[in-house]
Amino acid sequence: MTRQRVEPSVIAVERGPSRRRSRGPLAAVATIVLLLTLLPLARPLIGQPYNYVLQIGMVGLMWIALASSWNIIGGFAGYISLGHNVFYGIGGYASGLLLLYFDWSPLLTWPIAGLLAVICGFLVGLVTLRTRGPAFIISTVALLLMVALLFDNWEFVGASNGLSLPLPPFSIETVKIPFYYAMLLIAVGSVYLSYRVAHSKFGLALRAIAQDETKAEVGGIDTRKMKVTAFSISAFFVGAAGAVWGYSLTYLRPAIFFSIAIAAEMVLMAIIGGRGTVAGPVVGAILLVTLNEISVSQFGSTELNIVVTGVIMLVVLLFFPMGVVGTLRERGKLPSILDWD
Amino acid sequence: MSEVAQVMILGLLQGGVYALMASGLTLMFGVMRIVNLAHGVFIIAACYVAYFLFVGPGWDPFASLLVTIPLFFLLGMVIYRSLFPRIEGSQRFSEMTVLLTFGIALVVEGFLSYFFTGTFRSTNPPYTTDAILIGDLFIPTAQLYASMTSLILLLALWGFLFLTRTGYAVRATMQNRTAAQIVGVNVRRISTIAFAIGMALAGASGSLISFLYPFFPNSHWRWIAILLALIVLGGLGSLKGAVVGALMLAVAAAFVSDMFGATWAPITFFGALFLVLLIRPQGLFGREARV
Repeated sequence: MTRQRVEPSVIAVERGPSRRRSRGPLAAVATIVLLLTLLPLARPLIGQPYNYVLQIGMVGLMWIALASSWNIIGGFAGYISLGHNVFYGIGGYASGLLLLYFDWSPLLTWPIAGLLAVICGFLVGLVTLRTRGPAFIISTVALLLMVALLFDNWEFVGASNGLSLPLPPFSIETVKIPFYYAMLLIAVGSVYLSYRVAHSKFGLALRAIAQDETKAEVGGIDTRKMKVTAFSISAFFVGAAGAVWGYSLTYLRPAIFFSIAIAAEMVLMAIIGGRGTVAGPVVGAILLVTLNEISVSQFGSTELNIVVTGVIMLVVLLFFPMGVVGTLRERGKLPSILDWD
Repeated sequence: MSEVAQVMILGLLQGGVYALMASGLTLMFGVMRIVNLAHGVFIIAACYVAYFLFVGPGWDPFASLLVTIPLFFLLGMVIYRSLFPRIEGSQRFSEMTVLLTFGIALVVEGFLSYFFTGTFRSTNPPYTTDAILIGDLFIPTAQLYASMTSLILLLALWGFLFLTRTGYAVRATMQNRTAAQIVGVNVRRISTIAFAIGMALAGASGSLISFLYPFFPNSHWRWIAILLALIVLGGLGSLKGAVVGALMLAVAAAFVSDMFGATWAPITFFGALFLVLLIRPQGLFGREARV
């Protein structure tokens, strides 16, 4: 008889989703969402920087959506995708084209963009998820550069000059409001999706894959199906966020959507906050967006921004590989408002 | 017919340099399971070293090899020793190294663009515009010199790996890290040497491509993607695979570029990568990838 040694982390995984859920974080999170919903009504309170506040809010919500979605495949399943902004670009271009050719507003067509991203994610996933570990990461980088090259040379979508979209039909005072609400919906949706995944049998299967894929397979999990599903659904809100973001810029250019820096930010946010936790990417997104805002106003140059991003990445990986939420949980100091797992 | 031969020659000449770049990357993976996403950015950094030696004291890019090779060797030792031992025990080491080297790449790229801006640069020694004509075949001199140098450096690497004791130890570590440790190989030391050699190869490649392809700080993403495609095709960690993969894909890319225009040449690498993943995920010479 060989004695079975059970890793402590495996026990944690097994207990994870079935743990009793407290009411505390739910009420707190609902309050935050309510406050965010009411924010655009507080124009008299905010005063002059009204549009700026909504813009920053929108950017923050977008990154929450991107990082949370990435976390489904990169955190729960442990498959690091460095090409997830492919879906961001696909979403942006899909809704942009629907606007140009059919005059349908991206503020309404973002679900279509999301679905298209899911279909693309499914097809890509079928191929790239045949590999594991580093080979998978490499294939996602290659995917990103290949798609970037295609869009850079595809005349139908304006090649590297991109497409100009008609201006949104709103006055300058109110133009930020619909974008803000669309992004709020996308962000809440993606966090809710991430929460539902984390607390489902499907999420448990993903965590098992992250721990040891061979054992998971032996344990009767159809790992391929789980991985491809996770990859596809993680594309939905990324595509949706791309659609709304592209319209808010009023122009679509490959350099904006298919830059590897965007993938870097997604990954970094999830890691800083805590990979594989529901609250982690949200915390990471808020931290990095704040930091970027400060760093742009201080240095004002994008080059040093890249350096800052890289240095943070190194420091977090070397000293806090579990991120804010993971590290706090390990020390038993995680405030209940962030305990969403 | 002669057009086919011409494209073949151009492809092979390019492939020689690609092989040099890819061999450093695959060596790092083979010995230490490190996927070095920063390999491209170090190649570009070496391009800048060659560039400033060229425009400053007027050194030929080939002379700059004398600086870039030892400089990047030392840099490799420092980087390996200071960063990698910290994550050595982590559960998914290879993936950690991807993220870590991604961070390194961002830092180096940021500094390069801060100091040298995004301008396209290249060294232009006199022979870059020369060519040798054999019959009606056209052989660009710069490409020829560069791939000959690559060949010499690759032979030197081969000699080191197959003829020296340290080389044996490196290969033993590639085959089985634990077993190598058991028979008395100082794996930490070997890993440092292997990483430093990989970096030295990156430095050498930088000197060589500084006059073949114009560079700017952000251009390393293009390179690293091509190199990763090459080493996946050859089988991660297989040196033979990297060289064969580089030659094959460079020739294929030369044909694509001849038929559809140079813009589409990179598609060859990525297309081949996806094809390999579909048909034979472990690559041409790879053992079953278990990471």
